[in-house]
Amino acid sequence: MSLGEEGVERTIIVKNLVKNYTTYLRKGLLKREKKVVHALKGISFDVRKGEVFGLLGPNGAGKTTTVKILSTLLLPDGGEARVLGYDVVKEAAKVRKVIGVSLSVEKGFFWKLTGRENLTYFGMLYGLNGEYLRNKVEELLELVGLKQLEVADKLYEEYSLGMKARLSLARALLIDPQVVILDEPTLGLDPPSARMLREMLVRIAHEDGKTVLVTTHNMFEAEMVCDRVAIINEGEIIALDTVERLKQRVADSVSLEIFAFLPAGIPQETIVLKLKEATGYPSSIFAENGGYRVKVVVPPGEAGEATSKALRVLHEHKCSVRRVEIKEPTLEDVFIKLTGKTGF
Amino acid sequence: MGLKTLLKSGFTLEIYFYKNNRAAFLAMFLWPYLMLTLILGMGHLFGSPSAFRQNVRMDVDPVVYYVASTLIAMSALSVMWGVGGSILWYKWSGTLPYMLLSPNRMSTTLVFSFIPRYMLGVLIQLAEFAPLIMLIEGVSNGLVKIGILALAATVGMIPLLGFSALFASFLITIEEETNVLSWLNPLILLFSGAFYPAYLLPYWARLISQILPTTYTVELARLAAIVGAPPLAPITFFIGVLLGIALVYNSLAYLLVGYGEKKAMEKGAI
Repeated sequence: MSLGEEGVERTIIVKNLVKNYTTYLRKGLLKREKKVVHALKGISFDVRKGEVFGLLGPNGAGKTTTVKILSTLLLPDGGEARVLGYDVVKEAAKVRKVIGVSLSVEKGFFWKLTGRENLTYFGMLYGLNGEYLRNKVEELLELVGLKQLEVADKLYEEYSLGMKARLSLARALLIDPQVVILDEPTLGLDPPSARMLREMLVRIAHEDGKTVLVTTHNMFEAEMVCDRVAIINEGEIIALDTVERLKQRVADSVSLEIFAFLPAGIPQETIVLKLKEATGYPSSIFAENGGYRVKVVVPPGEAGEATSKALRVLHEHKCSVRRVEIKEPTLEDVFIKLTGKTGF
Repeated sequence: MGLKTLLKSGFTLEIYFYKNNRAAFLAMFLWPYLMLTLILGMGHLFGSPSAFRQNVRMDVDPVVYYVASTLIAMSALSVMWGVGGSILWYKWSGTLPYMLLSPNRMSTTLVFSFIPRYMLGVLIQLAEFAPLIMLIEGVSNGLVKIGILALAATVGMIPLLGFSALFASFLITIEEETNVLSWLNPLILLFSGAFYPAYLLPYWARLISQILPTTYTVELARLAAIVGAPPLAPITFFIGVLLGIALVYNSLAYLLVGYGEKKAMEKGAI
């Protein structure tokens, strides 16, 4: 472990990490075309001891690639990554002894084993045994709430997604790791399960002193749990700071939000494009409660004009507008401003 | 982490699996006799036990011969499927990354987690066939033959572990989603003489059979089927050959699986 510029212990250090994937596109029966995907284009960041660090980005941004490299499951093409001072390539075995990993909440366990049996098996595989293992399994089943739900002895195949996510977190904590790496831990979860998991992540970091690296494409989640966030887009980190400081970057903006129903046959992309043309600012669109939430980030002085322009576009496309709101900027706005993209 | 812990975890996994899957547990008991009945039934369609002795040019009991062959064939298949195919099973269930996060090499984890399943399977088959062999050969002769079969299954497994680990690394390196071994297994068993003596095969096929570890395991099992006390010298010889082949295949596997693991981790196949 090394100290950063502010004298804070850094548990994860990533320097100029590069990863390219080679894929082949089939062209007929025998021919295929080689294509190189630049998943990581030299990213650098560090994670401090006892913090929840969020890697925020859309699908395909490079989040899972980063997590897999840090988990020693993928070799980088260039750069360096260290966990508690151990090189993830040269000292992979040592890294594995100090990390807990959850790569997917919906699979990764034996379907015909119960939650308790799965944890016991993986505990043994990771070198735990006897009384210590039994106590650890009990403790974790209780910590993630599976014991309280009375499902610890149910087969994994009968688990709901929320239960699977809890079990996945429990496995990540089996060896009492100093660093916990979680890839999209709340993906697809119902709100109560997602909230429980988020609260737990904060507790693990702030009370137990573990370092938590979490990837997400959910900006609300990043705002809720992360002490610091790195926004990753197309293999590059485009911003890294605390959530508050990131939001200050768009403090000179307000977010115009319009809730509307789109008529059948009009692609969302068309609306986004037309709104950008009309207002001159990037916009985004999200499905919400059967309709759509349209968002445009604009300077405060131009909110009125932008609103009328946006409403005109929606009216022209026969969209049924239900609600118009002007809000303080969020992390989502930061992303839109930094990337000029329409959101995740 | 010690290999003992890996073996223990593999054994625990098997116990849990069969505890929760009663049908699979039952099938494990029935399967050896079903296979034996099928082979013997087919054999009787083609000729009598004396015709069989004439064909194999040995004084062997056809039932004991096929018990031995069945046990060896099923054990060999079990190793090849269990180690070679397990990588696909782990991949499909999403457990592969978590298996590899154990502080061991991929090949070590795959091989040592499998051994308990194999030993459990062999033990159950031996226990099932023991009464039949003792009924035919008598108690003392029967026990000796069961001992030889146990030895053949155990020593025969050692080179097969490396042989199958090579396939496992091949499967993960090429990102293949089908178990190549399932196409090769029948050929491997045929060339090994599991159900048709190897010396009756054409010359080119006999050359292939020489490099297959299963050939020597089958030979060892056949010695157990000879009427009366089995000869000690050829048994020692085949055990020596199997251990020699084990050294070659396992060393090769150690080097190549490491390479396959690195390639898979470069490609992001895990």
